[in-house]
Amino acid sequence: MNAELLAKAKSLGFSDRQIANLTGRTEDQVRAERKSLGLVPSYRLVDTCAAEFEAYTPYYYSTYDRGDDEVRPSDRKKVMILGGGPNRIGQGIEFDYCCVHAAFALKEDGFETLMVNSNPETVSTDYDTSDKLYFEPLTLEDVLHIYEREKCWGAIAQFGGQTPLNLALSLQKNGVNIIGTSPQSIEVAEDRKLFAAMLRKLDIPQPPNGIATNEAEALAAAHELGYPVLVRPSFVLGGRAMQIVYSDTELHHYMRFAVEASPERPVLVDKFLEDATEVDVDCIADVGQFEDQSEGTMVIGGMLEHVEFAGVHSGDAAMVLPPHTLSQEVIGTIRQYTHAMARELKVIGLMNVQYAVKGTTVYVLEVNPRASRTVPFVSKAIGVPLAKMAAKVMAGKSLKELGFTSEIWTKYWTVKESVFPFNRFHGQDILLSPEMRSTGEVMGLDADLGIAYAKSQMAAGAAPPLSGTVFISVSDAHKDDLPEVARLYADLGFELIATNGTAAILEKAGMKVRRVSKLSEGRPNAVDLLKNKEIQLVINTPAGQAPRADEVKIRTTAVYTGTPIMTTMSGARAMALGISALRKSGYSVKTLQEYH
Amino acid sequence: MAKRSDIHSVLIIGAGPIIIGQACEFDYSGTQACKALREEGYRVVLVNSNPATIMTDPEFADRTYIEPITPECVEKIILRELEEMRRIGANGKLVLLPTLGGQTALNTAMSLCRSGVLEKHGIEMIGANARAIERGEDRQVFKDLMLEIGLDVPISGTAHTVEEARQIAERIGKLPLIIRPAFTLGGTGGGIAYNREEFEEISKRGLELSPVSEILVEESLLGWKEFEMEVMRDRNDNCVIICSIENFDPMGVHTGDSITVAPIQTLTDKEFQLMRDASFAVIRAVGVETGGSNIQFAVNPDNGRMVIIEMNPRVSRSSALASKATGFPIAKIAAKLAVGYLLDEIRNDITRETPASFEPTIDYVVTKIPRFAFEKFPQADPTLNTQMKSVGEAMAIGRTFKESLQKALRSLEIGRYGLGGDGKPWRIGEKVIGDRDIFPRDLIIQKLSVPNAERIFYIRHALRAGFDIEQIFGLTKIDRWFLVQIKELVDFEECLAASRE
Repeated sequence: MNAELLAKAKSLGFSDRQIANLTGRTEDQVRAERKSLGLVPSYRLVDTCAAEFEAYTPYYYSTYDRGDDEVRPSDRKKVMILGGGPNRIGQGIEFDYCCVHAAFALKEDGFETLMVNSNPETVSTDYDTSDKLYFEPLTLEDVLHIYEREKCWGAIAQFGGQTPLNLALSLQKNGVNIIGTSPQSIEVAEDRKLFAAMLRKLDIPQPPNGIATNEAEALAAAHELGYPVLVRPSFVLGGRAMQIVYSDTELHHYMRFAVEASPERPVLVDKFLEDATEVDVDCIADVGQFEDQSEGTMVIGGMLEHVEFAGVHSGDAAMVLPPHTLSQEVIGTIRQYTHAMARELKVIGLMNVQYAVKGTTVYVLEVNPRASRTVPFVSKAIGVPLAKMAAKVMAGKSLKELGFTSEIWTKYWTVKESVFPFNRFHGQDILLSPEMRSTGEVMGLDADLGIAYAKSQMAAGAAPPLSGTVFISVSDAHKDDLPEVARLYADLGFELIATNGTAAILEKAGMKVRRVSKLSEGRPNAVDLLKNKEIQLVINTPAGQAPRADEVKIRTTAVYTGTPIMTTMSGARAMALGISALRKSGYSVKTLQEYH
Repeated sequence: MAKRSDIHSVLIIGAGPIIIGQACEFDYSGTQACKALREEGYRVVLVNSNPATIMTDPEFADRTYIEPITPECVEKIILRELEEMRRIGANGKLVLLPTLGGQTALNTAMSLCRSGVLEKHGIEMIGANARAIERGEDRQVFKDLMLEIGLDVPISGTAHTVEEARQIAERIGKLPLIIRPAFTLGGTGGGIAYNREEFEEISKRGLELSPVSEILVEESLLGWKEFEMEVMRDRNDNCVIICSIENFDPMGVHTGDSITVAPIQTLTDKEFQLMRDASFAVIRAVGVETGGSNIQFAVNPDNGRMVIIEMNPRVSRSSALASKATGFPIAKIAAKLAVGYLLDEIRNDITRETPASFEPTIDYVVTKIPRFAFEKFPQADPTLNTQMKSVGEAMAIGRTFKESLQKALRSLEIGRYGLGGDGKPWRIGEKVIGDRDIFPRDLIIQKLSVPNAERIFYIRHALRAGFDIEQIFGLTKIDRWFLVQIKELVDFEECLAASRE
């Protein structure tokens, strides 16, 4: 290729991928050609003074502009930490937190740390978080150049979320030493067939599942498993993702409009476990460091029981640590499965497992041998910096050396609640689903579970009302639980409001109810009352896959008027518990330093 | 002057959960402030409900409250801390630093101030006093103040009812009109009204969402160029500009949703100096005695009329960007200024030689591009307007705008490896268009004239479809200088394609 043209392309910021595609080469070929021409980026300092004075903090960016390279040589052992790139829903501050901890930990252990990230909002891109900061895109091309220029000893890919994980295999192919759990083990967890084989070997149940490359196969799979099923593309296109499907009609629709199934991109069909309790487990292990895995140590950092039943994305669910309803037997099973999988996957560092519990059966939904979204939460809850320890384990220390060998079971409760951007997206329904939509999280801490839950709601901007009126409207599926949940509020002295159908059930159960018109029946209706602030809390559970327009209207009006709304029965129960605790004793505040 | 010795403990309020308009930049600023204040020997008390932050790691503050950020709860913390300080025999007082936790911290502090809690317990606010915060935050007070010091502002009025809003609209005389609710974050509830019906609807929503039921109805500056200045000031009235930022997208798109470039690229030195002087005049008039502020300007491309749009009397999202763009740690310096230091007394960590009173100079170009998540909210409107909708951002640095733009685009991680030519097809509804195919004209016109997340790419599609710079400018009002830069990239893409053997 013409050297001058190539040099010009690079100085205009063209990536190897663009050049490769435009000139009919592969990315690898372009890179090889560039290297043979000595055409590699130089690194310049961000120094506040346009090179007028000497700069002491190594904060670099790359350029193909001809000129000096300002990288300061050093012969210390270097570890590169790959950041998470721009925040998005599903990959946010939690991963930046982990990357920052990796930098702190490895600095402590005498390594030279290099941070690579492109997100200006973060602590990881502060110039004094790591020894060297490279403000660069997280692509194979950009990362590889830094790694080679700095002659790093290793790179950490398991802390920055999906971004660095997606790069791990190709980096490894290009000679990068990915430290911690091997990319091969990560693949076992991500590849459906390999994963199923591993579970069979360990005798760990997984929800029955199938695979479909077209509509007919999807229907066949669904019939075999029985509705409802959870469907999702194995290859996600433009956010068309997971859905719970209850009938043939819904499945037809999903297969026709939501995904493009093909033999290369099959659709995954799982039996959906209705009313199962989900549990997230974060653990840390060093077993992969040892020839004989039984010598290694594995410690569960935290078990988080979801408040909402299965079907709500774990990033959106409220969670309680330690589990508040699970039996000792179930907890024991979870512990046993987690240990078995960490050993099998030869984990070095962190691992997150998602379980669904139905009765006494524990199913594994997903395993991610990497830092998860809940790591910072768990670390704060138990008072042990898991990410920091994991980084040290990945760089060679054992958990025994680090003095962390046994599980911590807290004597207080911590509740995680999610925060959603629905007030930004008018007209968007607010129901929780398998598709994650929250942007952030808060924590409520207290010795009393109800207060911890109430604090999490206050922190999320939906302070529990201590008295007033509750509007209740639930789907047919929840009618059985309705009297019990409604009574919680009636006993707390709340006035109940409902439309005719719901009101009849409550009256039959002996409760007093004020009736209100359905939206289509006249006024004043629930929306009017919400706007007039005559309703302090809404309990509204969805009526199936295609919500009725008036339901959506009530839910969006609740968001809009800042009225707390519970869209699950378990959420409504937790809220009642919180209100009751607040009314009994109020709440007090306490520092983290005092908890630990 | 040296640091204040009458202070024993500093209460920092964090920003709480990550939401649109308030992301991890406030973890960055809060963490810096905690470090800076502890370095100075103060006892740091922190409240933040967000456990995913670095600042709430127990080693960053002496006392870390992971508790709800509500006035009621913060009052409980104040009482508890005052008692604790008595117990340990602290000599010195407890002060509140509210300017590092975004709008959440500022609103909470102001609420405690208005309800008399701060006065009752003798808690002083440092960083910005209540008067300055009110002047910066109350849009009408701010505008009157600007007019007083001889600066221009958009014609507008404040309304508390829809009827009042109608009267203001009448007075301004023509639609479109901008509606901005008071005291909401990232413009929540605001919008642009193109017709009377929309005007009524947005006004009503804005009034409902504003905690004080107040909206500002404003003359439309759609299509004007938008700029930002990051300014810092100390107790001796030294002022410095840390960074100048130009919005690639003209007025009408929230700055959090705009592509932004630092330093400013399309102003003459004379225009830039005018803006610099105006920035100093604003921070002085508002009375932010110590710390940083972000000031936004709009310039009419037809006649050069410059107006002040707003100022944030606190560390903002743009401050984080400005810090990363220049290497100047705004939050850290702001914290030190708040406890009494002067700009010339604080050493710049990077050079170790120059003081913080040296204005940063940069010899590169920084581009920030927002990242959106509309695929998660299919029922919502993906048009960009004055209400922020992006969930994150990527920044890149290059020696030219072109280099930094392409780096930023591939940093976004949306499957694009630059402006174009990477081979990834485009999916528009049910249709798939090849990366090097020519796009239909009507689609291009629509995507250029209505701001959206992909507009930058449609400039390329337009150029490849034979649109010229003037046509694209007419549709987007994006400064011609930027369009020329993009054209150079598109032209070079053709050179590369032509070299294919």
